[in-house]
Amino acid sequence: MAHRLTTCTFCGVGCGLYLETAGNRVVGVYPSMSHPTNEGRICVRGWHVHEVANSPDRLRSPLLRSNGRLVEATWEEALAFIAARMREIRARHGPDAIAFLNSPRCSNEEAYLMQKLARAVIGTNNVDHGAGVYCNNSINVLLAMIGVPATTNSVGELAGSDVIVVDGMDIARQMPTIAGIVIRSRLRGAKVVAIGTRRHLVAENADLFLQLRPGTEALLYGAMAKVIVDRGLANLPFIRARCHGYEEFLARVHDYDLAGAADACGVPAQLIESAALTYARARSAALLYSTGIESRESEPVEAIVNLALLTGQIGRPGAGIYALTEHNNLQGVCDMGVLPDRLPGYRPVASDAARAQVEAAWKAPLPARPGLTAHAMFADRGGGRVRAAWLCRYDPVSTAFSGDASSALQQCELVVAQHLFLTETAKQAHVVLPTTAFGEERVTFTNTERRIQLAEQVVQPDPGVSPAWWQLMMVARALGADWRYGSAAEVMGEIGSVVPFYEAATYDNLSRDYGRQWPCTHDHPLGTPRLFADGQAAARFRFAAIARPRPAVALCAEYPFALVFGHSLYYWHQNVLIQHSETLRREYRILLLDYPDGFVDLNADDARELGVRDGDRIRLRAAGGAAGVTARVTPEVRRGTVYVPHFVRQVQRQILGTAEGGVALVPVRVEKEAA
Amino acid sequence: MRARIVERADVLGIVDLLRGRGYEVIAPFAGRQRDTFFDTVTDENRARIRLHLPNPYYPPKRFVFPPIERLLTFTSGHGATRIEAAHDESKRAIFGIRSCDVAGIHHLDRFYLGRDYRDAYYDSRRRNLFLVNVVCTDPERDIGAECFCVCSDTGPAARDHFDLQLMDLGDEYMAVAGTPSGEAMFSEPIFRTATPGHVARRAAVLADVRTRFKSNTSWFPATVRYVTQDRILEKTWEEIGRRCLECGGCTYVCPACTCFTVSDRETGPGEVERVRIWDSCALSGFTRMAGGFNPRRAVHDRRNRRFFRKLAHYFIQRELSMACVGCGRCTAVCHGDVGMPSVVELIRRETAAAEHHEPAA
Repeated sequence: MAHRLTTCTFCGVGCGLYLETAGNRVVGVYPSMSHPTNEGRICVRGWHVHEVANSPDRLRSPLLRSNGRLVEATWEEALAFIAARMREIRARHGPDAIAFLNSPRCSNEEAYLMQKLARAVIGTNNVDHGAGVYCNNSINVLLAMIGVPATTNSVGELAGSDVIVVDGMDIARQMPTIAGIVIRSRLRGAKVVAIGTRRHLVAENADLFLQLRPGTEALLYGAMAKVIVDRGLANLPFIRARCHGYEEFLARVHDYDLAGAADACGVPAQLIESAALTYARARSAALLYSTGIESRESEPVEAIVNLALLTGQIGRPGAGIYALTEHNNLQGVCDMGVLPDRLPGYRPVASDAARAQVEAAWKAPLPARPGLTAHAMFADRGGGRVRAAWLCRYDPVSTAFSGDASSALQQCELVVAQHLFLTETAKQAHVVLPTTAFGEERVTFTNTERRIQLAEQVVQPDPGVSPAWWQLMMVARALGADWRYGSAAEVMGEIGSVVPFYEAATYDNLSRDYGRQWPCTHDHPLGTPRLFADGQAAARFRFAAIARPRPAVALCAEYPFALVFGHSLYYWHQNVLIQHSETLRREYRILLLDYPDGFVDLNADDARELGVRDGDRIRLRAAGGAAGVTARVTPEVRRGTVYVPHFVRQVQRQILGTAEGGVALVPVRVEKEAA
Repeated sequence: MRARIVERADVLGIVDLLRGRGYEVIAPFAGRQRDTFFDTVTDENRARIRLHLPNPYYPPKRFVFPPIERLLTFTSGHGATRIEAAHDESKRAIFGIRSCDVAGIHHLDRFYLGRDYRDAYYDSRRRNLFLVNVVCTDPERDIGAECFCVCSDTGPAARDHFDLQLMDLGDEYMAVAGTPSGEAMFSEPIFRTATPGHVARRAAVLADVRTRFKSNTSWFPATVRYVTQDRILEKTWEEIGRRCLECGGCTYVCPACTCFTVSDRETGPGEVERVRIWDSCALSGFTRMAGGFNPRRAVHDRRNRRFFRKLAHYFIQRELSMACVGCGRCTAVCHGDVGMPSVVELIRRETAAAEHHEPAA
């Protein structure tokens, strides 16, 4: 047997855990008591995270499409085929005919090399990750307002926060370890404020729960700011010393009024006031929101950050902004530049100076025009321009939130899929490259508190598979690039020279303690657990002036319900880790077994009035269409709302006449369907 | 008395003796900071065995009841199907198992072997297991903040169910045999005769260490009574349910939890293995019926089940002890602080308050 400290690769918490091996098999898993992020706790996914490596369904050879079928091929054949087809497509249609997409679960090394292959070898910025549509709002807002697109404090500091505000996200389901810290902090006396449309577990535990109407978040946060300003609780010394844009912000704040906001949000004014005062009077208050699949539009995120700046709740122990990433490496793939408009280190591709820096490091010219998003890719291949897609550990056919990935990929001349399994996407590919799994390679991931951590190799992979980063390197070489990385550690060495805040994140450094939180530089090789902790008086924060938003949706007597198209919540059942663990598959399939045709969530009190029981068929009627669905009756959703989980796509098509994302709320009427 | 003395310098000699007799010896090792684990002793790591350290968090029950255990394989080919059972008959010794975990294994014995049906898989592992118990005597290193074996009456010194028990008396260890095979070891020269002075010293060490527990108040008797008589308020269970994140950790680390599920899975062409896997009453699929009905759909109904199973008189009668050995691991893994000691206290406080025995603390 052997025991090795590694990091869980499921969600963005990045819990420290040990893998126990016997021979070449992982036989057990248990949490680290000492890891500063999880301190002995992991969730049900962590307790089963190792099972995927042992799955008998793993791919063990490259597959190449021949006469319409995928057949086993050698690595030489597969790599030569990819290189030849890419050359051809680029020669005929230009570099922007090729798109590179990955999953926010990819390692930093894979993410870095994939976007480098796209930009430096192929010459396109068509680079994005699967959660891009959602998290980019948060990245842009945080860059503009605080200069760093990441969580400001360490997860462990929440234990010392005396007020914790949780926006929207169901953290007990998505990032249970953080939910646990929030709940335990409350047991020790911290106040928890939950703001959102759903009564999730943390909301159940909260001291204040503001269950607002969907789409009214920015208005509610604006009203909280108004209360703070009116009560004289703005932290003026902090604002004067460190923030820009206060005057413009203040001018807008006066547009808000508590009574009006209470009315529009459907939350009692007293509760909004109480939440604002609780936050503003805290010794150290933390704001938690999702930057991943449950994330918001830009304005609510701006409104959240405004509150932190207004009260100076940033840069101190337990006081900060937590932009939470649901996927284990959502932070890392963004840091690595898997974004259509940003190079590694968040340098804008459109900036000549920024490009010049990266060009010097890579010794290759880089394209200046921002690329296509994953959203545009799956909507219509960016107006039909994309003809080849590279998909690194990404299965958009099963999981993409928008568009129709299957038909977009069918229209491509070349689809390359790197994956552990023959996913629905891989089945459509022209080439499938089997990759190593968790525990079979040594690579890094960056968690939601900027902690760059090594996932250790504990078993030898099957000889038929190889690391995804190696496959990317071999394709680059076949296309004429002189890439010579002997190991993922060498890739990280290069990352350190290109991404300034990863400068000292060598494997040697990362293998000490429990990884390092970026910025990890030669000046601060031990990393930075808390941003802005230096207390410098430099003005580096910027308020966002937000005009009072209009009501998000106009409900009327004819269409009294707001239909909400959700992004996630029930989405993990499609995940490969879940599908290949006995226990997790069982647990995450229950909803699908209970509601085999999918479902929409209907509030229990609304259901009673309508005479609808759990499992009944209902008809949703909107101005533009109608859909018949099964009702899941739950006290979780707010009265007057109907929540459509993302995977029930036909509802969206029937109601809107399109499966496109973008429309958040639709007024509908709910009717009981005749039996 | 079946007691002997071993010099401090010779204590790892017991490991060598066991290895010499063909045992795979499992012993505790230190990982980073507070992390510790049980691992197989090799020539290379023998010197790193530690007798005083925080009790490893991943319990040694896995050596009799593994997280995933192959029960049998079906192989079909050439027109026939072969079924082959997989029994683990290897000889294993756990050197340095704590008293709480000895009690845990005894609890598993009662469950798997104590009634009409003897579980053959458990039996083959258990028959070949040799337990060297080490008494927790170092209040700093051995006794964690969560330990409460003094309340569950399982420690710090186990009274039985070990083969050998070692207690640190300072310069030397006292060894006590609990079984004939333990006593047979005493013929080896590293074991010296114990004097009445040693016995008195042992009693003094034990008396002292019993006072060194950090959390030594638990209300088991009251809570057992409330659970057994079904007097616990629904709102108490709901509070417990609200704080449970359904991770299953408390059951996986519990030395006394016995539940498993059985699953068949393909391992190759024409080959299927049947495995049993640790299961958890925290999980929704644990009680869900094939037809879709779930008698314990709400989380608090499932948590209710856990504490009923561990503390109700019916089960105590059947297994002769509570299904809690006081190791404190469930406290350390729990996201919402609803491990055993907190729940026992919560139940006692809220039930007593509701019944006007005393005001809520």
